[in-house]
Amino acid sequence: MPTSSASNHSSHPEDLIGRLNSAHTPYEVKLKALRDLKNQIIGNRTKKLAFLKLGAVNSVVSILSSAVVAGGWENREFYELVLVQCAAIIGSFACGLEEGVNAVLDAGAFPLLLNLITHINDKVADAGARSLKLIYQSKRAPEYDFLQEKNMEFLLSLLNSKNENVSGLGANIITHSCQTTLEQNTLSEAGVIERLVGLLRGSLIQRDASLESLASMIYGNPEVASKFLSPENGRALSVVVELIKDKQPRTRMLACMCLIYLRNASTSYLQDSEIKNKLVMILLELLDDPGQVGDEAPFVLSSLISQKEDMQKIAYDADVVDKLCENLNIFSFQPTRLQGTFLALADLCSKLECCRDRVIHLKVFKFVTEALAHDNPHVRSAACYFLRNVSRSVKNLSAGQFMNEAVAAPLVQLLFDSNESVQIAALGAISNVVVDFTAHKSLFMQFGGVKQLVQLSKSMESAIRINAVWALKNLAFLVNNKCKEEILLELTISTLSSLISDPEASVQEQALALVRNLVDGTLNSIDYVFGENGLLLHAIGKQLWSTSKVEVLIQGMYTLSNVASGNELHKEAVMDQLFPKTINDKETVLVMFMQSADSRLRTAAVWALVNLTFPSSPGACGRVTKLQNAGIVCQLKNIVNDPCLDVKLRARTALGQLIMFGDAS
Amino acid sequence: MPVRVEETSSASQISGTAQGNPIPLPCTLLNVGKTFSGTQNVSSFHKDEAWRVNVRIQGYDIDHGYLCGTMEALNVPMADTPVITFWEGEIVDTKNYTFFTGKWETNAEDDIKHWTKFPSFSPLLSQVEADGGKTVDLSNYPYIFMRWKEQHFVNVGADCGLTIAGFYYVCFSCSDGSINGFYYDPNSSPFQKLELKSTNDERSGYSFSSYELQ
Repeated sequence: MPTSSASNHSSHPEDLIGRLNSAHTPYEVKLKALRDLKNQIIGNRTKKLAFLKLGAVNSVVSILSSAVVAGGWENREFYELVLVQCAAIIGSFACGLEEGVNAVLDAGAFPLLLNLITHINDKVADAGARSLKLIYQSKRAPEYDFLQEKNMEFLLSLLNSKNENVSGLGANIITHSCQTTLEQNTLSEAGVIERLVGLLRGSLIQRDASLESLASMIYGNPEVASKFLSPENGRALSVVVELIKDKQPRTRMLACMCLIYLRNASTSYLQDSEIKNKLVMILLELLDDPGQVGDEAPFVLSSLISQKEDMQKIAYDADVVDKLCENLNIFSFQPTRLQGTFLALADLCSKLECCRDRVIHLKVFKFVTEALAHDNPHVRSAACYFLRNVSRSVKNLSAGQFMNEAVAAPLVQLLFDSNESVQIAALGAISNVVVDFTAHKSLFMQFGGVKQLVQLSKSMESAIRINAVWALKNLAFLVNNKCKEEILLELTISTLSSLISDPEASVQEQALALVRNLVDGTLNSIDYVFGENGLLLHAIGKQLWSTSKVEVLIQGMYTLSNVASGNELHKEAVMDQLFPKTINDKETVLVMFMQSADSRLRTAAVWALVNLTFPSSPGACGRVTKLQNAGIVCQLKNIVNDPCLDVKLRARTALGQLIMFGDAS
Repeated sequence: MPVRVEETSSASQISGTAQGNPIPLPCTLLNVGKTFSGTQNVSSFHKDEAWRVNVRIQGYDIDHGYLCGTMEALNVPMADTPVITFWEGEIVDTKNYTFFTGKWETNAEDDIKHWTKFPSFSPLLSQVEADGGKTVDLSNYPYIFMRWKEQHFVNVGADCGLTIAGFYYVCFSCSDGSINGFYYDPNSSPFQKLELKSTNDERSGYSFSSYELQ
C-alpha cells in the first residue's frame, strides 16, 4: 500500500480542509489529514468552532459517504480505517456543541452513521455507535418512531448486540425519544424491559444507559411500572436497589431516579421508611458532586419530594435545606445547578413552615436577588418559584420579610421580562409577597409594581391576565385608602369593569375579589363602586344574573354583601342589583343562591341578607317587605338547619332580623 | 441528562394549586382580616388593670389546624405607643391538636381547669376526661377552641419590660364572633381574662375581604 511520503504539509486549518476536499489528494493522505483533524478538535471547543466555519463537517461527511461505497471490495481494511476516523470526528463535533450537532445533522451524517452500526467490522460498528450516542445527547437528535414495526425490530437488534456501545445506543435512543404513554406501552409490549433488565448486569456503559432508559419508560406509567416489578423480570427491582450503593456516582443517581419513578407510579412498592430515608441520604451526598451528576441531582431530588409532605419532612430532618442553601453560594456560576437547587428548595418550602423558616434563617436572599437578574431565564423562573413558596409563610409575610429592595424590587423588574414564562413565575411570587401585613405595601407602588400589574391585566394571554389581577387582589387586601386610590387611578373603573366581564371566568373571579377587597375597610371605601355612574355595580349585577360559575358568584355576592354593610344609599343600590327592574322585580337571584349546592355561596347570600335587613338602618323595613314578597323567608326557613354551621347561624340571624319587622312567620 | 425530570420540576411548580382556601373556613367570622376589640384584665400584686386590646386574624391553614394574627394592646403603662405582638394559634380539631396542650409548662389538670371556665365546654367535659376528646365531633359545634401563643413583638423591642412567655386558652363563638380567653403563665396571676367582640367599624353590617396565596 502506498504510504504517504514525508512532506511538509502544514496542519493549518484551511490547508487541512483543502486536502480533505481535493479530488486529487490520495486517500492515504486524506486518512492522515482526518487523524490530524480529529486530534486537533477533541476536547477543544474553539478549534471545533473554527473548523465548523470552514465547512469541515461537510467535508468529512462527504468522505464518509464515498468511503462507504468504495470500501466494498478492494482495500477493505483501509477504507474501514477511514470510516472509523470519520465517525469519530463527526461524534466529536456533536459532543456537547449545539452548532456541531446542527452541522452534523444538516450534512446528512445521521443515516450514514446508522448504516455503520450494522457493519461486520466491530470497530466500525463501535465507532458509528459512539458517534450516534453523542448526537443523541442533544435534543436536536431526530425522534425515533417506535410505533413502526421495522423500527422496533431494529431497536431490538441494537439492544441484543454484544457490542456495549451498540446496545448502549439502543438504550440511549429510548431515553431520548420515549415521550408518550403510548410509546412507553409499545416498547413495553415489545419486550424491551426484559432486554434492558439484561443490560443492567452488563458493563458500566450498558448499565447506566439501561437505568436511564428504564426510568424514561416507567415515568408516570403505572402499567409499565408493574410490568417491571412483576416476577417475570426476576429480581430486577433488587438489582436496581443494589445499584443505589454503586461506587459510581452517576450509577447511584440513575438508580435513585429509577426507584423514584417506580415509587411514584406504584402505591405498594418502595413506600417503607427505610428506602425513603436511603434515597434522601444518597441524593444528599450526590448534591456535593462537583460535576454533571451534582448538576442533575437536585432535579432528581425534586421528583422524590414534589407534592409529598412526608418526603419533604424527611429531607428537612436530614438537613437537605442547609445543603441546598450552601450550594446556592458554591455553585452560583453553574446555571443548570442553580436552577435545580432553587426548584428543589421551592419543593421543600411548598408545604412545610419549618423549611421556610430555615431558609429565611440561613439568609439566602442575597443569592435570590442575583438569580432574579440572571441571564438564563430558567434560573430567573426557578428563583421566582422559590420565592413564591417561601412567601407562603404568613408569619414571615407578617414580619415584612419580602417587601423590600432585595426581593420585591427585582420581582417587579421581572414583570417586564421578555420571556412570558418568567413573567408568569414572577406574578406568582408577587401575588404572595404583596399580602405583606406591615405598612409597607406602598413600597410596592414605589417600585413601579402597580403600573406594570395593570398593564399585564390587559394582556392577550389569559394566564397573565389572571395572575396580574390575582396579585392586585392580594395587594388590595387590608390596604389603606391612599393605596386603594392609586390602584384605581392606574387601573381605571372602566378597565376593572371589563375585567369583571372578561371572557375567562377565572379573570372575572379575581376581578370581583379585587373589588370586594376595595370596598372593605373604612365606610367611604364603598363609594368606589359608585364611580362613573355605578359602572362597577352594574357589571357585578350583570355577572350575578348571567354566570353559572360558582366561584364567580361567590365573589360577586360577597362584594355586594360588603356594599350592603354600608349606609342606606349603599343598601338600596344593592337591592337594585338584586331586583333589577329589567327582570321581573319579584324575583331575586338570592333565592337561587340560597339553594346552591356550594355552602360558600349559600353563606355569602345569607350574609347579604343579614346586612340588608340590619336592624339599625332606617330603610330596613322597605327592604324587608320586598324580600318577603320574593319568598326569602321561606328560603331562610329551609336553611335554618343547614348542614353547614355557618349557613345555619347566619340564616337564624337573618330570620331573627326579619321577624323583628313583624309578619314574617 | 434526565430531560424529563427538568421539565417535571418546572411543570409541578407551574401547576401547583393555589394555596388559599381549598376547604371552607369553619366560620366566616373568624376569617382573615377580621378584627376583634375588647379588653384584657391584667392583675398583679399591686393593681388590677384592663388593657384595651385589638386582635386581627392574618392567616390560617385548616389542614394543619393553624391560625395566626396580631394582638395590639393599648394604654399599656410601660409603653408610650400601643404594643403589637404576632401570635400563632392551635385549633383544637382533634386531628392536629387536642384539648391537652402537652407543652408550655402545663399538664392535663391545668388544661381541664381552664377549659371548664368556658360554659360552652361543659357538654364536652365528660368525653374529654374519658378519652381526651378523641371522639368529640367538633365540626358542627358552634364554638371553636384554640390556644394562642404570642411569638414576637412587632413594633417594640423584646426589652420593653413586657412578657409574652405564656399563652391563651381561647373560645370563639361562631354565632356572634365573640372571643373569650384566659391567659396562662405560671409566673403571672392566673385566669387573666381576655374578652373581645367582633368589630364592624362604622358599618351597619358585616364586611369580608380575603387574599389567596399561590
